Amino acid sequence: MRRHELIVIGAGPAGLSAAIEAKKAGMDVVVFDENERPGGQLFKQIHKFFGSREHHAKVRGFRIGQELLQEAESLGVDVKLNSVVMGIYENKEVTVKKDNAVNHYKADAIIIATGAAENMLPFKGWDIPGVIGAGAAQTMMNIQGVQPGSKVLMVGSGNVGLVVSFQLLQAGCEIVGIIDAAPRVGGYGVHAAKVARTGVPFYLSHTIVEAKGTDCVTGAVIAQVDDRFQPIPGTEKELSVDTICVAVGLTPMAQLASNATCDIALLPQKGGHVALLSKCGETSVEGIYCAGDVAGIEEASSAMIQGRSVATYVCLKAGYLSEEEFQEKYDRYQAALGQLRQGMFSPENKGRNDFTVTDEGYPVSSNLLAHGYMTEDELDNFPAYTYKKAGVHPVIECTQNIPCNPCQDSCKVGCIKVGENITMLPAIDEEKKCVGCGMCVASCSGQAIFLVDETYGEGYATVAFPYEFIPVPQVGDQGTALDRQGKPVCAADIVEVKKSSVMDKTVVVTMKVPLAFVNSARFYKAGGQRG
Amino acid sequence: MIKVIRVAKIEPFIEKEDDGMIICRCEEITKGEIRRAVYEGMRTINEVKRYLRAGMGLCQGQTCQRLVQNIMAQELKTKPSELGMIQGRAPARPVEIDIFSNNITDVKEG
Repeated sequence: MRRHELIVIGAGPAGLSAAIEAKKAGMDVVVFDENERPGGQLFKQIHKFFGSREHHAKVRGFRIGQELLQEAESLGVDVKLNSVVMGIYENKEVTVKKDNAVNHYKADAIIIATGAAENMLPFKGWDIPGVIGAGAAQTMMNIQGVQPGSKVLMVGSGNVGLVVSFQLLQAGCEIVGIIDAAPRVGGYGVHAAKVARTGVPFYLSHTIVEAKGTDCVTGAVIAQVDDRFQPIPGTEKELSVDTICVAVGLTPMAQLASNATCDIALLPQKGGHVALLSKCGETSVEGIYCAGDVAGIEEASSAMIQGRSVATYVCLKAGYLSEEEFQEKYDRYQAALGQLRQGMFSPENKGRNDFTVTDEGYPVSSNLLAHGYMTEDELDNFPAYTYKKAGVHPVIECTQNIPCNPCQDSCKVGCIKVGENITMLPAIDEEKKCVGCGMCVASCSGQAIFLVDETYGEGYATVAFPYEFIPVPQVGDQGTALDRQGKPVCAADIVEVKKSSVMDKTVVVTMKVPLAFVNSARFYKAGGQRG
Repeated sequence: MIKVIRVAKIEPFIEKEDDGMIICRCEEITKGEIRRAVYEGMRTINEVKRYLRAGMGLCQGQTCQRLVQNIMAQELKTKPSELGMIQGRAPARPVEIDIFSNNITDVKEG
């Protein structure tokens, strides 16, 4: 029987990271993945990630995947694709289906990094073609290059629902609405805001009652829910859609851990049934570990660190790392994980939506949570928004404590400060002079930074905003400025368009608007009513 | 370990409007069938799986496990955590039967 020191199941962010770490220490490791391509879900992620530089912040997910693959390749990590792990047996025997045969392997240690599966929501007609998971929509768009539909209803306002809505817009779909049974937007406010400013309506405290159609979806009936999440009769509303995209959370794929007789429990804060783990990631079966979403739903950045962290412990046990080497690495990874697990959306605060103030003491926007965008009154509570100075300066509409700081790194003159604790809101240093380079605008993963110049002249101001759609506006274009909820507010002329390789496809577009609209104009639409 | 307390449901089974809704898509098991199974004495998700084949199809319960749990929990007025998880079994993914006959125990690899 072919024996390896370490078998990793799953070549996603957690599995690949674990294998890289183990290989670096000198372990004999093999990775099995059932897919044709490695990288797991990373290659579907075309948005820029949050975090700090060490977490690959402001880098698009698929590029992080490419970096990870390159690292694995350069180290010679053996990744076996189209290899389906069928089961884990006694004494860490693993059976793998490959090339029409059942291959038997044995390992001293196994890291299960199988990730998660999407949750579904049963409603009348949920089995009609056209009702798809958000992950499926991402696969179609970002891997296969297929538009999933043209008029889409998004069910779920968590980060997945918001991010995929934005991607659907980028793919040219119309988002007819985003609904959520909860009374508040579940994902990051900045993700909601970048969707809302394109004109997508949010229906909170709403559920889907029925998918209309026989052979394919032709419509969706939604209804308001009461505080027990039951539809209120008489509030039904029919939307004309051809696609219903469901993004209602993920469940860890713990089947292999269960198969390996690991102790399992349903832990709601982890997203479902998970193997019970020691602090180093070991299950109740010695030598079998879990890392990534299978150990509890988080996101790719933490999965990568978790994978590395678990692997260091495996290396210690196998004698490839000394106690000191292990401790140094382990502490470093735990510190990096700790940074990502802070703030209003940390795993600890999962499901909490009772925050009334930020860590800085600024009142949390209720409109943002109810409608996906902030009112100017609410923004007035945030110094990085109200800051004004002659000439061009940043206006930052980042109002929740999320772990992210690329804005600070991107500003060459040191105008933007987040500080040591990366969940703090960015602050503007009044001593430093903004040069209007636009790097902060392009690097903000939440697209929440604008460059504003109230002193443009002749009763006009300029607003620079991030733009990730095609066609890209051109200098000289005349169109309409939209406000935070996507409503047309005034005529806008495009005066500058900045693209650069560092900005990685986020174009910084500057529009000229009448001074009166400087605080409301946040997006742009070609054409439209002018005047 | 999951403690199973067997108390037969004494109330009669009452049909509901949405009983015809398919819950397990692979095996085409409806919500009504799952609800009825509870009244017929099924108390854990593994029992329902064996009784109805819900969660025994191509996806091995990946989509319906949670849904079945929620329906059962509602009928039994208990928490989904009391119902257990579909026991993970090999093969974790569908494998064509002829492949099983092609066992390679001495894997040679380059």
